[in-house]
Amino acid sequence: MKQVYLFKYGLTLLLLICAISVFAQNKPFTGKVVDETNQPLPGATVRIKGSDQTTSTDARGVFSFPNNGQSAIAITISFVGYDVMEKTITANDASVSIQLVPNQKALNEVVVVGYGTVRKTDLTGSVTNLSTKDLNPGPVTNPLEQLQGKAAGVNITQTGNEPGVPPTVRIRGITTLSSVAGGNDPLVVVDGIQGDMTLLNQVPPSEIEHVDILKDASATAIYGSRGAPGVIIVTTKRNAAGKSSVEYTENTSVDVISKKLDMLNASQWSAEASALGVDASANHGSNTDWFDLLTQTGVTQNHTLAFGAASNGFNYRASLSAIDQTGIVVRSNYKKYIGSIVATQKALDNKLTLTMNLNDGIIQTNYSPTGIGNAAFTSNTITQAYLARPTDPVYSSPGVYYTDANVFQYTNPYAVAETVSNLDNINNMFGSLKADLDIYKGLTAGWFGSWRKVDENSGYYLPAASQNTAAVEYNGIGNINNNHTDQKLMDIDLAYKHDFGKSHFDALVLYEWQQQTYNGNFTQMRDFPTDATTYNALQLGNIADFQNGDISSYKNQRTLVSFLGRVNYSYDNKYLLTASIRRDGSTVFGVNDKFGYFPSGSVAWRIDQEDFIKDQNVVSTLKLRGGYGETGNQQDLAPNNSIGLVGLNPTSPTVFFGGQTIPNYSATQNYNPNLRWETRQETNLGLDFGLFHDKLTGTFDAYTSKTINMLFNYTVPVEGDFLVNSDYGNAGTLQNQGLELSLNYVIIKTDKITFTLAGNGSLMQNKVLKLSGIIDGNPVFTNYQSYGGGGTGYLIVGKPIGTYLIYKHTGVDANGAETVAGVNSTTPLDPGVQSSQRYDAGQELPKYNYAFTPSFSYKNFDVAMVWRGAGGNKVYDGLREDLSLLENTGKQNVLASAVPLGIHSTSVQSDEWLESGNYLKFQNLTFGYRFNIPANKYVSSIRVNLTGQNLLTITKYKGEDPELDASGDSGSGSDYGIYPPTRTFSAGLNVILK
Amino acid sequence: MKKLLFGIFIVGIAAQSCTKVNENVYDKLAANQFYATPAGANDALATVYGKISGTWGSNYAGRDNCWYDLNEFSSDEQVIPHRNTGDWQLDFAQLYTRTELPSLGIIDNTWNWAYGSIYAANQAIQELTAAKADPSKIAEAKVARAWFYYLLIDDFGDVPFYTDNNTPISKIPQTKRATIYNFIVSELTANVDLLSTTRGGTYYGRFNKWAGYMILAKVYLNAGVYTGTPQWANALAACNVVASGGFTLHPAASSTTSALGNSYYDLFGDVCPNDETIFAIYLTENVISGNIYMIRSLNTPTGVALMGFAGWNGTVIPSEFYDKFDPSDIRRKQFLVGAQPDGTIYTTDVSSLISPGAAPNEGIRDVKFYTAGIHDASGASNDFPVYRYADVLLMQAECEVQLGNTAAAAPFLNQVRERAGLSDIAAPTLQNIYDERGFELNMEGHRRQDMIRFGTYLTPHGFVSAGSAYMELFPIPSAEITTNPLLKQNPGYPTN
Repeated sequence: MKQVYLFKYGLTLLLLICAISVFAQNKPFTGKVVDETNQPLPGATVRIKGSDQTTSTDARGVFSFPNNGQSAIAITISFVGYDVMEKTITANDASVSIQLVPNQKALNEVVVVGYGTVRKTDLTGSVTNLSTKDLNPGPVTNPLEQLQGKAAGVNITQTGNEPGVPPTVRIRGITTLSSVAGGNDPLVVVDGIQGDMTLLNQVPPSEIEHVDILKDASATAIYGSRGAPGVIIVTTKRNAAGKSSVEYTENTSVDVISKKLDMLNASQWSAEASALGVDASANHGSNTDWFDLLTQTGVTQNHTLAFGAASNGFNYRASLSAIDQTGIVVRSNYKKYIGSIVATQKALDNKLTLTMNLNDGIIQTNYSPTGIGNAAFTSNTITQAYLARPTDPVYSSPGVYYTDANVFQYTNPYAVAETVSNLDNINNMFGSLKADLDIYKGLTAGWFGSWRKVDENSGYYLPAASQNTAAVEYNGIGNINNNHTDQKLMDIDLAYKHDFGKSHFDALVLYEWQQQTYNGNFTQMRDFPTDATTYNALQLGNIADFQNGDISSYKNQRTLVSFLGRVNYSYDNKYLLTASIRRDGSTVFGVNDKFGYFPSGSVAWRIDQEDFIKDQNVVSTLKLRGGYGETGNQQDLAPNNSIGLVGLNPTSPTVFFGGQTIPNYSATQNYNPNLRWETRQETNLGLDFGLFHDKLTGTFDAYTSKTINMLFNYTVPVEGDFLVNSDYGNAGTLQNQGLELSLNYVIIKTDKITFTLAGNGSLMQNKVLKLSGIIDGNPVFTNYQSYGGGGTGYLIVGKPIGTYLIYKHTGVDANGAETVAGVNSTTPLDPGVQSSQRYDAGQELPKYNYAFTPSFSYKNFDVAMVWRGAGGNKVYDGLREDLSLLENTGKQNVLASAVPLGIHSTSVQSDEWLESGNYLKFQNLTFGYRFNIPANKYVSSIRVNLTGQNLLTITKYKGEDPELDASGDSGSGSDYGIYPPTRTFSAGLNVILK
Repeated sequence: MKKLLFGIFIVGIAAQSCTKVNENVYDKLAANQFYATPAGANDALATVYGKISGTWGSNYAGRDNCWYDLNEFSSDEQVIPHRNTGDWQLDFAQLYTRTELPSLGIIDNTWNWAYGSIYAANQAIQELTAAKADPSKIAEAKVARAWFYYLLIDDFGDVPFYTDNNTPISKIPQTKRATIYNFIVSELTANVDLLSTTRGGTYYGRFNKWAGYMILAKVYLNAGVYTGTPQWANALAACNVVASGGFTLHPAASSTTSALGNSYYDLFGDVCPNDETIFAIYLTENVISGNIYMIRSLNTPTGVALMGFAGWNGTVIPSEFYDKFDPSDIRRKQFLVGAQPDGTIYTTDVSSLISPGAAPNEGIRDVKFYTAGIHDASGASNDFPVYRYADVLLMQAECEVQLGNTAAAAPFLNQVRERAGLSDIAAPTLQNIYDERGFELNMEGHRRQDMIRFGTYLTPHGFVSAGSAYMELFPIPSAEITTNPLLKQNPGYPTN
């Protein structure tokens, strides 16, 4: 940057000299060149078309050409990082302001690829690169929301809009059958610090400079041990050299319910109940709209203040961010504060660069309680509002919430929502130091250390006043839960760069050490004399009511050691090669197999650089890429899984023996010395192209990958060598294949109007190839294992993950019982998984995802949209099932649609409740306006925007929202009630001060 | 280039010290170290008893969805109907009507519980032997293992058999019922005399000599079912050894301190009395499992009235079973029929078991395990009597009748009848003994075995139509068939 800076001023000086010498009689052609934020662009090159005459803009962005008598001249303006602009100016134009547009194609941008950067043109793997202007605007509380719909093959799913609950991300589908939550989550790297998805909690959305998403294994192999599910690399903003700035970004939004299920109201319920013969005593004669009682208009505020400066040898940026969100369900809210400072200092004659990064993110969330309801149907509180009978009163007497002793485990959702305390505090802290040293002619050495600590403290209090059965039974239950994560990382690297002839060569060797320690404790008491202290004075609980499991603590640790080498070679800027190898060791594996090797290689051919393609006007950019890589997975495996362990029996921690109650120690885990790395092998072919002077650009990728030695908690025979009927092993194989296409078409681009159509789509297909193998010397034959879909989804060899095997609904019999195909008076129901009465009804995970993101700007006004959709999957709508069975009417409410449906009871899970999961959402519509700021000393830019989110959902799905858990974990593919999805309207402001 | 190589060397040196990836364990104990001590070996034995009390879905009795439910709901003495309010799954009614299939969770749970228990027993034997522990403790673990195998062959017939946990699954064939029967008999015979003779105290809830002989007696008693060759004399001999342990019937007298006003119900109270109890499972609600058999039966108002917690409105006693009880029988007090003080009226009959299901207050309720000790909405602390002396007396009577000594049988049977307030039977028949077993031992997990041995299991009753012979064994759980290719499904059941 420093060179650019000097370059700009050098040219400015030159310009001044020129300006004096070309002073002439005719009024000169002049103009001013500004950037996208209306700041002057000094040093832009301005050329008169068809001549050699060039000049540069001065410090105020102004240029001038002498007038040799022409009435108008055609000029081209170019500047690094911006599109070349053509413009005709006339001699009479008083003050022409020419705004350059940041380079959309950005093939010269630098892409972060892990332990280094490459020019985008030199990329050989499949990487999606997004910068600030590509990110979704609006009320963003988690950076992932900014990426929705923006990258092919990167699917971001938000289930409901509970404050503080982040979306899930899947890059190229499911790499492993996750046994631990988050096993398919990509690795997140923020300014070099590696972490899980929660690391994004420490990034203020408006402070993101760019996001690079490594998709294929040839790109992610560099992160070997943690790279298999893909990598999201976030780089935060830095101040540009020579500039100091203060930036304030604000956004305020209101959230409203986007869809509500159509339930029976009080009079309809009364009519239906009496028609069904429900005892009149079940009708308590009130008229309560429970859903309305539990919901409110949500409000979200988001403020970020950032400032920084850069001068020779020094650069810093600090930011403070606050997000305050009130949920749409009463008493749910979310507060997040992030403070960050990044400072860089050069020393030793600029040979040493030190970068320090300190960040603290504090999150306070009041979650809406979950696990509420009777044992047959527990859910979150708001879903219980659908279940509550509309004829039940809210209070039985003033101040006492209503409960009905004749209903087993009666739930008053409003009482729960109003009286339960469920506060979660998280303190995320990280710090890092990076030292880079130029040793000698292209040889550099680096040291990087980071330390991240996550301290979570949550309190829960369920008072008897909530009328919750357990709370009444124990006269209040309170607990405090502490969880601490401590993640340390250190790496040392040596890098070397050299050019000889047409060859460019760079190489990297690196050693990395990581340690993650998890510990925490849980304390619970029951029977409180008062609700006033909630969980804050657990000692007030009655020690006599203490139970097993009311106190616990844990600690475990994972250490990783890695060695890595990478070579990039290019010849003549046409032929590119990247190869890397990484050797990783992780403590979590068996003693025989702690280390794994993860190689990768990829090549690219920049066809557009070849002579034979230069004499045509159609193809302007063309690059062919191909690569193969292997990545490992160990994050999915919790520590201490390979060791034979003894602990308190988790389900029966005490035993009566020898006339007394003593701790029940038992073997809790098999010894498995051969537990080893899961490996994903992926081949990727890609094409980057630009046609018609890059008016139409695009990227196409095709990949196929296999996850071998898949880590999974396999179902094993309970006889013999196995302690329990499941065991962690490396038996299975999983296949993922897909196609991805991104297109960007610039229809109009002038200095006033830009109109771009953009979109992307991906097709994904996964298949379970094998679930059997040898675990611990025993042949294991896992198949037809239950996997999601509300109990109707399975893992079946040869079929996609989460294939529905379900009964075909045929109608109802005389008793109102549901009938299904293949079952009659002579053939009883066969509930077996492989029952011939079941059929393959599709899969839980979407087969395709797509997005359409057009944008338009006219002068200072811009508008952008995001439409996105997914489909090819089914959803088991368990909530609709529960709300449709008429036999439930006596104790709960049912859907208006249940009456014509007429199903009184059912003994199976049929396809009546299996619905298409296809949807298309109008996700985002943003209008922006940038004010023209008259020259002043204080303000350089003001921009306002209005955003609408989740404006429309086109779907046949009958529940609240078809955008459900698509994590590929065992909770996928069903709907048992979600926190309501919201429609959001927001106004935002961005001010940059000088 | 030299510098580069030198740099790699330096990095290599720096890295050398940090290349170890040995795992630390902080919150658990390494198995090989834990069991290397005498205390650890002792804990391995205690673990076996931890399996017996167990927890939800994995226990002999007390909680639900495992051995007790499998063996009780398939008999004629209790059932949980589906309710027309949408409550209760069909599993229990399916077992009751013999329409259960290999995928039924209760079957799978029972299988997993039994083999998990055998694993624990094998481990205890291995660790105790390695620690050179007291032979009586090794014998105790071996008797426990024999008991688990006895429960397995009783329910499933031919099952996988192994005695060393380090055996790969491919070396564990499905073994004939008769072969495992022979193992059980020889294992018990070799070990029962090594067991402690102490009753109660430190041996409460443990396999002492008397419990060991009781198991042997049970195995011989059902030998005809298992092998085709009855062993009535051996069964009688084993019973006689148990009887020599000094057991007496717990007195049945009016008592204001006892449940249901009679000291007979002390047998099912917080702690089982030592005079009659041979082997019991110690239960303390939420500490060591718990006992749900009363709260599972009652509806909400009766539960609140009698226990302070809402009942689950589950178990009912079929009226044809209830009808056999003599009105003067003190054991009839355990049933709640008709109008209750809380206002509930329990009907005698149930109108529907599955579809559309029974109305909420249909069916007779049972309070034999009348809530005692620590209790809450998920159960009470009543211990569970696995074997008691009344059972021995009835077994002695049965063996004598089978051996042709009707007169010798009468005193055994009549002791039990007299305590219940019934008149003597001078010349007992097998039917008399079968009925008496139903009156005395209902809700205690014996009924299915008795029905099979007495040949009544396939007889139609109530909602249950006549059965086929294959139903006398349960299906092997389908989950096990899938994961263990050596297993063959029992005849009559679908193979998947």
